Amino acid sequence: MTGKLPTALNDNGVAVYRLPLTDDGAPEPSGIGDYDLHRDWSLMYQNSVWFCQLRWIVVVVLCLAGGMALFPDVMLHYRLRLAPGWLWASAAILAVANGIYLQLLRQLSAQTRAGSLRTLLWSQIVVDLLVLTAVIHCLGSWDTYAPFAYLFHIILACIFFSRWTSLVVTAISVLLYFGLLWGERAGVLVHQSAFRDMAAPLAAAHDPGPWNWQLVFLLSIWITIWYLVSRIASQLRAREYQLAATNARLEASSQERARHMLQTTHQLKAPFAAIHANTQLLLGGYSGSLPEASRRLVERIAARARMLSQQIQEMLQLANLRSQAQSQHTVSLIQLHELLQAMVERFEPTATARGIQVESHLEPAQVRGVEDFVKMLCENLLSNAISYSHNDSAVQVSCSQEAGKGAQVTVRDSGIGIPSDKLPRIFDDYFRTSEATLHNRASSGLGLAIVRHVARNMRINVLVESAPGWGTRFSLDFPPNNGGAY
Amino acid sequence: MAYLLIIDDDEDFAEAVATVCRGEGHEVALEYDTHLGEMRFAQRTPDAVILDVMFPENPSGGFELARSLRKRSAQVPILLLTAVNQQFPLGFSQKDIDPQWLPITDFMEKPVDFDTLKKKIATLLSPS
Repeated sequence: MTGKLPTALNDNGVAVYRLPLTDDGAPEPSGIGDYDLHRDWSLMYQNSVWFCQLRWIVVVVLCLAGGMALFPDVMLHYRLRLAPGWLWASAAILAVANGIYLQLLRQLSAQTRAGSLRTLLWSQIVVDLLVLTAVIHCLGSWDTYAPFAYLFHIILACIFFSRWTSLVVTAISVLLYFGLLWGERAGVLVHQSAFRDMAAPLAAAHDPGPWNWQLVFLLSIWITIWYLVSRIASQLRAREYQLAATNARLEASSQERARHMLQTTHQLKAPFAAIHANTQLLLGGYSGSLPEASRRLVERIAARARMLSQQIQEMLQLANLRSQAQSQHTVSLIQLHELLQAMVERFEPTATARGIQVESHLEPAQVRGVEDFVKMLCENLLSNAISYSHNDSAVQVSCSQEAGKGAQVTVRDSGIGIPSDKLPRIFDDYFRTSEATLHNRASSGLGLAIVRHVARNMRINVLVESAPGWGTRFSLDFPPNNGGAY
Repeated sequence: MAYLLIIDDDEDFAEAVATVCRGEGHEVALEYDTHLGEMRFAQRTPDAVILDVMFPENPSGGFELARSLRKRSAQVPILLLTAVNQQFPLGFSQKDIDPQWLPITDFMEKPVDFDTLKKKIATLLSPS
């Protein structure tokens, strides 16, 4: 088994084995490590795709702005002056880059390599900031509100990345912006402005220049926003991680419980299966014929073994149902008439052996729920109807559904019936009427407790009509398919 | 008369099944773990395999062995016997029988009624 410490020999040649305090072979209940890796990757991937979608919008806006610049009259009317070349170039660079990103993302989707995705994301950030700096240069680096556009990047970085990563994005934004201002001041780039009235070059005498308190103010806004948003985002992220980790632990624990239940069922049922098999051999004469007294004894052993096996199964089913609130179950649309038909066919040999006729009238009906639970519910009702019927009688099973309403199921027998004073208790664990005990000793008294749990979980209305000598009818009203607890 | 291979870790149960099968006139080979079962299968392909699901060394050993045997032979009928039915989490039912996931021919729940078992075996061995 994996993870077990190897056995060693001591000085006397005696084998020594130290029991590990944790069982590495057992599944790790927390499951957090895997969860984080997967979650980080999928979140990063989703964000990358979303950024690409946003980028297309920016490309369209830049194209429209570039298009507007082709109409001088319109521009003059709004006292604007745009350099279409910059805008077209920026849009083209963004569009080409975005196409490449999407192609790479498609390739990466099959690989789930976090490193490659991170590199791609960073290249997107850097190219976006470079293009933004070019657009800001085109619109006016210090005489318009364009530099505030860096805040979009800073806020998005704060929301989606760690605090330090978002600080790096903020630092890159500051460096690029100050680099632009320096370039314009040094004459490497010619200062431009989208506003006609402010198009004077930096060198002009009346130019207030970018190096003043306004810049300090702008910088302090960026830093403050980075600090506030990144702090709030990191707290929210920590909380989200905590919740997700708790959820992952619960899921892992539920899986572990299911595995344990499976093992327990097997361990408890297997010996009875062997006992039952061997009694069948004895009764079948495989080891010679048995005297009549011995045969009766073996029949009793077989009956009790079968009964105990059934009881174990029902006890475990009930335990499983009781703890079902902690676990995840697959909810699906169940074809109730098909499920009942299969069940009727399964029970028919048992019924026929006692001369009981199972009459089914099954119209198409659908319910939304956990299929295994619905099976448990119907199986117990049908099994009870047959068990508590008199020999050579009939059991009727029907289902139907009106449009827009929940399905209805009825199971009717003409058996021993239940006295009215005992009806309210029939769904209690292990409760059996004295008449039922006399009629069928093999029952565990848990079948209707299972029905109660399933009905409550699925919000199924159960109506029981019964009288000694008349028999019993169970009527189930399922909630409409959009209702219920699941 | 057919050659049946029974693979089940529960010796008492497997012997009982073997006795019934021999009583039906079949030749039976018995193995109590999946590895030896697969080796026996490789030595001589049986006409049908009766296989348990859970083995001490591997709780899903029966499923894995069924997949492995199916790779060796696409035709050999495999009857799975299990103590765990679909009413438990991770249990399985008829709907789980799948050429890829669970390539078996049929399954029966323990405790097994031998009359039903005999009928199932006869069906498995009859030419389809």
